Amino acid sequence: MATRENTRRIPLQNRDSLRAILRLMWERPLSKRRLGLLLVLAGGAGFVGVLAVDLLDAGRVGGVGPTQSLALGVMSLIVLVGLSLLPLGDRPA
Amino acid sequence: MPAETRGPYPLVSRLQKALLWAALLLLFGYLLVFLTYAANLIQFPFDYDQGEGFELVDTLLFSQGRWPWQDVETYPFYSSNYPPLFHLLAVPFAWLFGPSYAYGRILGTLATLIAAGAIACAVRRDGGPGLLAPLSGLAFIASNTIYHIGPLNRQHMSMVMFETLAVVVLANLESIADSRKRRRTFWAGLLLILAAGYTKQLALATALAAIAFLFIRRPRSGLQLATGLALSGGGIFLLLTLATDGQWWLQTISANVNRYDPHQALGLFQQWFGLHGFLVVPALLFLLYELYVERLSIYSVWLAAALAFGLLSGKWGAGDSYFSTAIAASCVLTGVGCTRLLANQSARRALRPALAMLFIPLLYLGYGRAVLHIPTHSPPFDSIAAWLDITPNAHNGFHDSARGPEGDFPPGYADIGHLTTGEDLRAGEELVAMVRAAEGPVLSEDASFALLAGKDVVSNPTQLLNLANNGLYSGDALVKMLQERVFGLIILRAGFFPGAILQAIGENYEPGQVISMNGFDYRVYRPRPAQES
Repeated sequence: MATRENTRRIPLQNRDSLRAILRLMWERPLSKRRLGLLLVLAGGAGFVGVLAVDLLDAGRVGGVGPTQSLALGVMSLIVLVGLSLLPLGDRPA
Repeated sequence: MPAETRGPYPLVSRLQKALLWAALLLLFGYLLVFLTYAANLIQFPFDYDQGEGFELVDTLLFSQGRWPWQDVETYPFYSSNYPPLFHLLAVPFAWLFGPSYAYGRILGTLATLIAAGAIACAVRRDGGPGLLAPLSGLAFIASNTIYHIGPLNRQHMSMVMFETLAVVVLANLESIADSRKRRRTFWAGLLLILAAGYTKQLALATALAAIAFLFIRRPRSGLQLATGLALSGGGIFLLLTLATDGQWWLQTISANVNRYDPHQALGLFQQWFGLHGFLVVPALLFLLYELYVERLSIYSVWLAAALAFGLLSGKWGAGDSYFSTAIAASCVLTGVGCTRLLANQSARRALRPALAMLFIPLLYLGYGRAVLHIPTHSPPFDSIAAWLDITPNAHNGFHDSARGPEGDFPPGYADIGHLTTGEDLRAGEELVAMVRAAEGPVLSEDASFALLAGKDVVSNPTQLLNLANNGLYSGDALVKMLQERVFGLIILRAGFFPGAILQAIGENYEPGQVISMNGFDYRVYRPRPAQES
């Protein structure tokens, strides 16, 4: 059963120190939106990284190979899943 | 009262229960097939799966206080490419019984049964009613992949066992109120992940899944687990690298960067999905439900990570075993998903939800049909096979639904699962006698013949090939020994040596007998007369 924990942002005026904010941030579950954002960032970085293999490995020829295509497909999927989570807001992931 | 007996339609409930019992009976049959196969292999004194012998050599080296990660450029040109835990667990048995495959195979069998038990416990703990928990555990053993690698003297199933235990232990970590108990659970999970990683490198999938899950639930716990694993795992890694003069790093990490064939990965993925689809589809649906509607459980994160790592099965030397963690995760997730479905449906008083309850046992019955594997020539299974008109499509009268009617299978699928016979035993004894009679050392692709003949085990062919493929092995010393025809006998099975070694064998040794054992041809080579080259 879903646990409806409050993952909304904490108003700054109710917190008197950065430490308290950080503590709450580390203790609270990730929201679906934050998880989506992390997936978009991770998938995007992975996508660029896979493409960068060609740039770094200057001796290689032939463009994107089947292994790279597979990796790019996986990274794209991660980005798409991340994007689809963004509208789900502050519900716990 | 178990959920499947509740509800307003007793007839539907009874029908569901009858179907659940039928599914349980079917999957229990696969447990019997598994135990028969295990008992058969435990009594077989030779290599069965390629590489088993070298895992035994690792255990024997540890039992003598030596590292298995050695310089392969000097005699006996041997090194291991695996972490140590499985072999260390077998060391006491090596002290007691000497070189034998039996104890490693018993350990593999026990690891498979424990992993299945952990899956059943996870489903039961989540509220799995009546037969659902045992069904989930038995479904794991019924998998064609788990069946054929479980009872081997290989480390893979021990890794899966540690992974499964770790995930089950960590699943409810954040709901434990008592801080002392929570701390103990956290450390138990961390140690089990560490144990899995030091059994086989592939456990990285589970480590990442556990870190991600804890990070989602409570970021601080995720970071604590990541830090704990990095410090403890990294510390052991550093110590092993220093203690072996860098051989640990070279042999277990550098040598494992292998050529990747996406077609092999896709072929194995399709095969895995075809065999396990009845469990994988509900597991994936439940994953999506948790992702978008409820909260993600560790089992969903584990399945996603295991699936991603399953794609590594396209590596040279990898195979269908790379999907075994995903199979374990699918079994748990389907069991947990069905539990939730039953809990939701049993509360409603409508015919449609009640009929939907029938869907669950049908899933397991369909799965039981999809993973059909049975020895068709050995009692008591021969009469069942004859009754169901099941014909063999693999070695020694074995039927395996993972193969086509002609016995064809995708590259990377392990060509095993059949029972060994008296003829295989005699063939092995003949090969041992030839090794014993040969002058000087013997170069063999399987270690058992040299071990049982009391000779040195020379080289580990696949590891030499791994190293050669990465430009980390020259092979000059071994080629020189071949050119000088130092080896009294050479036994090849698959020709896994690097090209330069195979070429030197071809130039200096002549093919002789071909002896078949377990459906594989062992080609025996003897030194060419001195004037030939």
